[in-house]
Amino acid sequence: MEGSRESAGRTPHSGVVKRRSKSQSYRRSIRTCFGVASGLGLTPALTARRMNTSRKVPRSQNITEKVKPEHLELLVKTEWQLSYVTPLYQFRHTQLKNYSRQLSAFIAAEKQQGLAVEVGKPQNTFKVSFSELQGLAETSNDPEAVLIQIQSKPMFARQEDPLKTVWSGWLSCINGNPEYLQSLPKDFTCLPLFCSKGAESLSSVVKSWLQRTFDCCFGPLDINQITLQWLAALWTNCHMETNIQNLKMIWTLPVEPPLKVTYTVNSDDALDLWRSTRESSAEKSKEAEDEVCIDFSEVTRFMQGLMSHFYRHFRVDLSAGELNQVSSALGSAKVNGKIKISSSRYLISIVSLLTECALLKMPI
Amino acid sequence: MATLLNLSDSDSSNLSDQSVGTRNSNRSLRIAEQERRKNEAEEPFVLALKYFSEVEAGTPVTGNDELENNLVQVEKVAFSRGLSPEAISVMLDFAMSLRMGTSPCARVLKCLLPASVVPQKAVVQAIVWLTVRKLPISSQVLFIKWVLTVFDMIDAKDKLRAIYGFIFSFVTDENLCPFICHLLYLLTTKENVRVFRVRKLLELQSKLGRQPYLLYLLSLYKVFCPELVTLSMPSRMKSGFKNHISPWKTALIRVQKRNSVQVASSISLAFTVRDKTASRKRKHAHLELPSLSPVTMKEPQAAQSSSRKLVPLQQIQSFAQLLQNMHRIELPAQMGSLLGSRLALQYLDCVQDESALLRLNFWLGYALHEEFLFCSDGGANKNPEEALQVLNRLLSAQHFLQEGFNSSDAFLYKFLNVWDGSLLRPQILGLLSNIPVIPSSQIKTLLFDPLMQLFFTSSLFFKCGLIECLNHMLLKWLTWHSAYALEDDLDISLNSHTSINITLSGFKDSVMELVHFVGRLASLGLQLEGCHSLLLSFILDFYETVCDTFLKFGLPLVVMPPLGVFYPAFFAADPVSVDRLAFIMHRYKVNLMSAKRQEKVTEAFHISRQIFREFNRYQVFMVNCLWNSNLCYPGSDVHLSDELLAKSGVPQFSTRFDLIHHPAFVSYALDFHHKCWPDRKDTDLNSIKQSKPWSWYLEYLFTQGFDGLKDFLQNNISRRVTMAGDGRDDVTQSQELGSAPQMKQPLLS
Repeated sequence: MEGSRESAGRTPHSGVVKRRSKSQSYRRSIRTCFGVASGLGLTPALTARRMNTSRKVPRSQNITEKVKPEHLELLVKTEWQLSYVTPLYQFRHTQLKNYSRQLSAFIAAEKQQGLAVEVGKPQNTFKVSFSELQGLAETSNDPEAVLIQIQSKPMFARQEDPLKTVWSGWLSCINGNPEYLQSLPKDFTCLPLFCSKGAESLSSVVKSWLQRTFDCCFGPLDINQITLQWLAALWTNCHMETNIQNLKMIWTLPVEPPLKVTYTVNSDDALDLWRSTRESSAEKSKEAEDEVCIDFSEVTRFMQGLMSHFYRHFRVDLSAGELNQVSSALGSAKVNGKIKISSSRYLISIVSLLTECALLKMPI
Repeated sequence: MATLLNLSDSDSSNLSDQSVGTRNSNRSLRIAEQERRKNEAEEPFVLALKYFSEVEAGTPVTGNDELENNLVQVEKVAFSRGLSPEAISVMLDFAMSLRMGTSPCARVLKCLLPASVVPQKAVVQAIVWLTVRKLPISSQVLFIKWVLTVFDMIDAKDKLRAIYGFIFSFVTDENLCPFICHLLYLLTTKENVRVFRVRKLLELQSKLGRQPYLLYLLSLYKVFCPELVTLSMPSRMKSGFKNHISPWKTALIRVQKRNSVQVASSISLAFTVRDKTASRKRKHAHLELPSLSPVTMKEPQAAQSSSRKLVPLQQIQSFAQLLQNMHRIELPAQMGSLLGSRLALQYLDCVQDESALLRLNFWLGYALHEEFLFCSDGGANKNPEEALQVLNRLLSAQHFLQEGFNSSDAFLYKFLNVWDGSLLRPQILGLLSNIPVIPSSQIKTLLFDPLMQLFFTSSLFFKCGLIECLNHMLLKWLTWHSAYALEDDLDISLNSHTSINITLSGFKDSVMELVHFVGRLASLGLQLEGCHSLLLSFILDFYETVCDTFLKFGLPLVVMPPLGVFYPAFFAADPVSVDRLAFIMHRYKVNLMSAKRQEKVTEAFHISRQIFREFNRYQVFMVNCLWNSNLCYPGSDVHLSDELLAKSGVPQFSTRFDLIHHPAFVSYALDFHHKCWPDRKDTDLNSIKQSKPWSWYLEYLFTQGFDGLKDFLQNNISRRVTMAGDGRDDVTQSQELGSAPQMKQPLLS
């Protein structure tokens, strides 16, 4: 069965002309009932994917040797706007040069409506380059991340002035759910997290080109309450190794007029609180010392601790409000999907968390 | 073929001539006269053609009366009947060869009105003349315009396509360029799109600016070879090429009308540039269908060999074309665009391409999630119109394919938890009814829990809608089962690539769960809504499906309605409900009987004794009430003691639900009574119970259209007893009707 279907896929002629046998149509019918043959359909449809309730303690990782320094510099110095992307169809890491040419021409055509543009001819306004962001993938399932950069000359630049990068974006998948990744047919490449920086107009042109070329869809990826709480806890935990200075959280409370609370905790105090919430539960799993995991219940207790402290002092119950932003020396994250990662050492663990969020948004 | 047709035509006309001619010779004479005159009139035309084909080059024009006369002859024929293909060839050759100079050229071109078709050869030759002789620019333009006008009447286009490069060379001529572009647009195939042509056109573009004709030709090039050229159509671009056809248009239409030739001269171009009416206002248009556009990135190995022959789906305009190109159709870049096109869906249904289906599902799931669940731009409330359109389109696609898309199913499972039950209700319920069989282990969390909540918190109309939707769902499941499963082995398990195996027993479990669930909803819903007859009607619809699962759909499963449905239906005040209940009970009986027979033959399935017991209980109750005037609940869990009923103060309470006193039928009984004994002043309904009026009364009821009741009674009450009653008129009614053997043997075994 498997074989015959594949052959039908390869040579459409035979697949089309041959009338479906009964058993085939039965299978197809049930397949579309329960999802495609890859098994993608049922699992997410019937058992909704949920956020991991427990994750490993972020370990400081020195990725400076794996990742090119110029890439690393770009990744950590920028505030990225996050989006999720459905799997890319027929994306090839070997075709990046070709993609650069195509996208350049596409941007040129979009910028000058009603003017046809030859593909592959060097454009004098925008130069696009696709490149592999090597060294980020963690497991063998993770496809290599892809960096897209758009360079342009400033309006009144002289001839010899160098091109300036006006827009950057990267597609990545780090520690993606292996079950999900393996369930995809091989025509699809799953790079669910899209980070971009630059003019909104360019972002939308790039997105629309990717959409048309790889039949994928882009949606905004917000960093929700739970993720923000996770980040607060994970960053606090990092204080054991790296000084995070302060843990800063911004809340908004639904009162009239709206109340914005900036809550800054000294990192040592935050770590103390974190340790005390950890200790109570850590005793249970003492034996697994090297694989230390954090459970979401600990994160919740940590946040509750912070909130009750605030309540004791100001009589304001933060749990009635909304956490909007979390920041520390390691980075900052906002609810509207903007994130800045300041330290390369925890980059992988943060992007893993974001990859997970992006995968949760996949429609199937 | 054509000659054959002509032969038979003339034969038949001869025959008719003969038959008519014998009777009416005057008329046939007149026809012959007309023919002769016509031939005479044609004579100078033939001569004129001869003149134009043989005229010596260099013959002077001025003062040449012969030329003038012949030209007038040709014009006369052309404007009245149009020119034959041969005449077109001759005249075109005469004009374009400039044998008599340039002056008659335009005049000849203007009268080139084809009667039927234009020979391709003549056009090709004329194009060759275009380069050989120095034609004035205006005539050149006129000629190309003429070609554009008669393009659809040219009998073949293969030779014209063969000289594509030759025609292309004219684009550099500034005057001809717009018209040549149009002609090229009509001729271009994938093989014609080459890098050097693209470059030439782009060069012209930089010289002439943004000319629509260049852009449209280039946009066609983009359709064929998006890897060579890209462009973005300005949203305010005038569509199509300008209508260049004024000199011939009206005359041509007149000629065609006269000849009643139905040449589809689709002069106006069917242009498929992106739909510009799509709302430009929306920032994130999740629900906007992507446009059908070809793939830009070809697989590297495929690009060389096969892609030249592939036909983009965008180019397919009719089902016939689809069939012709079935083996070499290229799917569009964005599969979401398929939803908008019937043809594309048809193709998708045939090819069974996993990836294609998955791509479509990704897009669909994304659009639905963004619009209704993530609501990143305010969601459906902002543009209900658009959401409505897309859902309707989705529904019609699902209807067309006769199955759902699993991304919409996955979406629904989530959406049901947040749905308010009123937003786009018909559409959502429509999608819901397309949901495929869910394994019984998950059906509760996915479907029943959210639906239960919605059902009990919504209006009567929602309740009705939901029951109807679940009825459709059940029907689809059963149909699916009867269409596929029965023809395979009874035990169906899928191979490993799906994460689920559904077996017949698994399927039965799911169906049973669904039926029980609806039973629960229905019982409680009827209580909540005071046994509303509208709701009851939808519930009975559902049980009409349920009672026939074995005979209609071959599923060995019988589920009886719960007490909470049976009694409200039986005690309903409207006769329709009682009649339908009787029909349902009748069908249950037929199904059970046949299942029992089947059971004896094969050991394949087994109907539980409990089902027979339940059925018998209902059956006995109905017969007792309707026929025997005996309100009893045989061996059931519901029991009202006689003392309690007596306290109600209703006289003769046990007869209150017989066919005469049942609230649903009492008006019929009265009417019957009135008709039977028109003179009687006092109405005594009990007098109907005498055996003769009783059988008349039954006949009367059956003529009122109570077919369900008829089936039920005729199958369950043995006529023998009523017949036997004939001779015993003196016996009291209660005794007669109360006698035991009136009921057929219960089914229980």
